[in-house]
Amino acid sequence: MLCEEATATIYFFGGAPTYTGNGLRGREFFLGRYAELGCSLTGEETTPQAIRVNPLRAADGEVVEALAGEGVQLRKIPYLDHGYEVVSSGFSLGASLEYLLGLYSIQEAASQLPVQVLGPGPGDVALDMCSAPGGKTTQMAAYMGNCGALYAVDSSRDRLYAVENSLERCGVTNCLVYLGDAATVDLGARFTKVLLDAPCSGNYVTDSEWFGRRTLRDVEANAAQQRRLLSRAVELLEPGGRLLYSTCSLEPEEDELNAQWLLENHGVDLEQVGGPGVPGLTSVFGVELDQRMSLCRRLWPGGGTQGFFLAEAVKP
Amino acid sequence: MRLLRDLGSAYSPEESEVLRINDKYFTLSPSLRDGLKARKGLVYAGRYLGRDRRLFQPSALLLETLAAEPGTNKVHVGRDAAWLFACGRDLFEESVEEAEPEFILGAHYLVVYEGRCIGYGRYETAGGRRIIRNLFDLGDFLRREM
Repeated sequence: MLCEEATATIYFFGGAPTYTGNGLRGREFFLGRYAELGCSLTGEETTPQAIRVNPLRAADGEVVEALAGEGVQLRKIPYLDHGYEVVSSGFSLGASLEYLLGLYSIQEAASQLPVQVLGPGPGDVALDMCSAPGGKTTQMAAYMGNCGALYAVDSSRDRLYAVENSLERCGVTNCLVYLGDAATVDLGARFTKVLLDAPCSGNYVTDSEWFGRRTLRDVEANAAQQRRLLSRAVELLEPGGRLLYSTCSLEPEEDELNAQWLLENHGVDLEQVGGPGVPGLTSVFGVELDQRMSLCRRLWPGGGTQGFFLAEAVKP
Repeated sequence: MRLLRDLGSAYSPEESEVLRINDKYFTLSPSLRDGLKARKGLVYAGRYLGRDRRLFQPSALLLETLAAEPGTNKVHVGRDAAWLFACGRDLFEESVEEAEPEFILGAHYLVVYEGRCIGYGRYETAGGRRIIRNLFDLGDFLRREM
């Protein structure tokens, strides 16, 4: 339901007011939302380049030393198992022998968290529901030690070529890759670990045109698609299986409101997610949410990462 | 796979172990083979061996396997030569630090940098000089996505 008044637009989603402000788009609108949610941002926040060492190919020390020999300075990111911030480099890290040999991948710090939190292991049957371009898929394979069975799905054939290239480059041999809609594709399997790093609205840190392109209607549409994928994710889990739901969106409709929807509609239990950032929001634009939303994790831009949201659920 | 023999490799997977998806070939671990229940939409599976183009093009994974075989033909290079090769250039004979076995005109060699395979080529003569003609290098990963 949309109510338009002379100076303010109130947009309702699922019966809860989302934000009162002028219009449904633009820098001022979205920064106003974030301030209302408790974080004052400038809209100029950036995230440093980061890499993730691939333990299937090399030990961290070997990669750090090899790159240091080429004048690349790295700094270990303390909350990541194999993540390093690029302090300085005289060349593109996507064009080095070590990169081509699959010793590391370029992966922003926050985006390394979902797989690390989910922690798939050698005995798991794991699924990456929205795999392309393959960074998190190769990360899952690394945690699994190239053992077990890892399934990766994406709905875009063009983007799946990037997944295939990543798997080959990084030496992954335990993965089955499918073209299909993760919400409906039949894989003939149930999973102990599912990663749903869902298609989302993104955030302005990684997209310089974000404020000019995004509207609240985009957010709504993405949130609906995410719920469709969340339902399927729970269906695909074995009892006792774990789901890690993540987005790089700052919008509560795609984050805490969807996590709450998951709790209310699928009978899962939420697990505490630690690490950088702050607890998930329990109050959104004056509406109180389930207090268990604080078990989730929200990363606001400006703390060395882009925006991110993580929720971990267990199927009873 | 004639190329594998040309590289001095004895690698020859059982036909029953090889899965073909369109023009690509794969082998699967037992756990992955047990987990393969659905074929619809499958585009990639397990260990990628290579694909049929005009000739068979081995994957980086297969080249890695071949380079680990003691008897395959290899040339070892330093970083500068390795980078040029990965950029698609041929190798001059004098930039090779070591050849296993010694150079044989027309033979194929895996190109190895610090124990890791970065591609392969053929030892031949060009412009009066002996070179390793670049037939494949890992820079292909970047060119594929251009």
